[in-house]
Amino acid sequence: MNAIQIKNITKSYKDVTALEDVSFSFEYGKIYGLLGRNGAGKSTLINIIANRIFPDRGEVFIDGIPARENTEVREKIYCMSEADLYDTSLRIKEIFKWSSRFYSGFDLERAFQIAEIFELNTDKRFKALSKGYQSISKLTVALALNMPYVIFDEPVLGLDANHREKFYDLLLKDYERNPRTIILATHLIEEVANLIEEVVLIDKGRVLLQETVEDLMGRGYCVSGSGDEVEAYCRDKNVIGWESLGNLKLAYILGSSGEISESGNLQFSNLNLQKLFVKLTEKGGN
Amino acid sequence: MKKLGTVIQYECVTSLKPIWVFYAILFTVVLAVSVLVRIAAGSSASGVNCLEINSMVYAGILGVLGFKDDFKMLLQNGFTRKYIFLSTISLFAFVSGIMSFVDTIVGNTLYRLVDNYNSLFNGLYGDGHMFLINWFWLFFVYMLICCLLYFIILIMNKIGKTAFIFVGAAFGLIVTIALPALFRFVLPKDFTKSFFQFFIKGAGFMANGSINFAYPILFLLLFTGILSCCSYFVIRRTELRV
Repeated sequence: MNAIQIKNITKSYKDVTALEDVSFSFEYGKIYGLLGRNGAGKSTLINIIANRIFPDRGEVFIDGIPARENTEVREKIYCMSEADLYDTSLRIKEIFKWSSRFYSGFDLERAFQIAEIFELNTDKRFKALSKGYQSISKLTVALALNMPYVIFDEPVLGLDANHREKFYDLLLKDYERNPRTIILATHLIEEVANLIEEVVLIDKGRVLLQETVEDLMGRGYCVSGSGDEVEAYCRDKNVIGWESLGNLKLAYILGSSGEISESGNLQFSNLNLQKLFVKLTEKGGN
Repeated sequence: MKKLGTVIQYECVTSLKPIWVFYAILFTVVLAVSVLVRIAAGSSASGVNCLEINSMVYAGILGVLGFKDDFKMLLQNGFTRKYIFLSTISLFAFVSGIMSFVDTIVGNTLYRLVDNYNSLFNGLYGDGHMFLINWFWLFFVYMLICCLLYFIILIMNKIGKTAFIFVGAAFGLIVTIALPALFRFVLPKDFTKSFFQFFIKGAGFMANGSINFAYPILFLLLFTGILSCCSYFVIRRTELRV
């Protein structure tokens, strides 16, 4: 099976359970959003997939091959980390050079092209770069790698809006040219909402849901209007959250779009991914 | 083993520049001290001795950094702990080889050219020994130091700083108080004598006054091997901490 299979992963740190019996798969050829609040267990999961830490129980398989301490999966998966794991005394061009030696699938020419797009000075040492450019240099390596599975852990950390746009653009073009599995772990949900096909939502060490963005958006809707009217409308609905401003009220409702009906002065709109994420993680997925 | 050569190459190439920087600083300091001694005392003495001690400190730092930086970098690039361990040991061998070679040449040259200079090797074993023996001996001393510090830093990373401080303090107390007391008051005198004779022989000093370099080299090789095995055992279970 062409996928990253996560099977019954449990990981604890002293008295904190970071992941509890987590099982799901990242299938080949999709762009995933790995979402979760701070401390939800996203980074722990990514570190286990990338063989940086070990699970207490369970196993990760990449295309059916166990990922733990296995050189066979080296050319299959790459994880761009939020943490700076590179030798910070190396110049960016040296990082590119060594990446091309470490990985058969690294396109050195492409790396320099991407660096040029971002106006990244490849003569500078990693540690001499700003936080934003450090992220750019890391994501440049990841984008220049031709791997079946690439994980981006907080890829746009410290990037300004222009650079973030450039990154999303490059990522999509790259994906169109060379479809593979891309996993984006980020807090900027709205920015990636149009990129990702499927969402894996982790909360308190458990997988809260795994759904396509389309299905997820169809799970609910928003209704707004005067307080009394909204409350009356919502009486028999599964409301996952409220917001109010003066006499105006907005309700987030779980339910199929078929439930949307004409109702006085009420206004209906689609849920956005970020709102749904916030509400689901507030409510613990109920 | 497809990419092992590349990792070893990475480790060695990136360690070359710091070695030359280290020697540039060291020789500048030695030169400055020699000039000062000459101006102040009018002597042709170098004013320094046993320059290998500096290399030992460098080897110790390399042992520590061998884990701290390279472990992260190589894990980022998907290498297994086995590869990381093998490349680190290769790095230690590479650096120890270069530094022991340079130190052997420099030590022997200064011993012949400068008044009152003694290298560590000449100070311990006297002069007139083969260049190759000197080089081998130093190589294994540096390897041992690298592996020892590598093992210590791995243990520190594993058990945490606080626990490590307690373990270190306990170890210090055992070495400085408990062991001397044990040898002096508890163990039979014959055993103590044999024990120390064993280590003196291990250092190459025979009972008849001759020196057998096979013993210290084998001893150093044995301890390096034991420390390497212990390090491998620890690193196989070591997780990334960021």
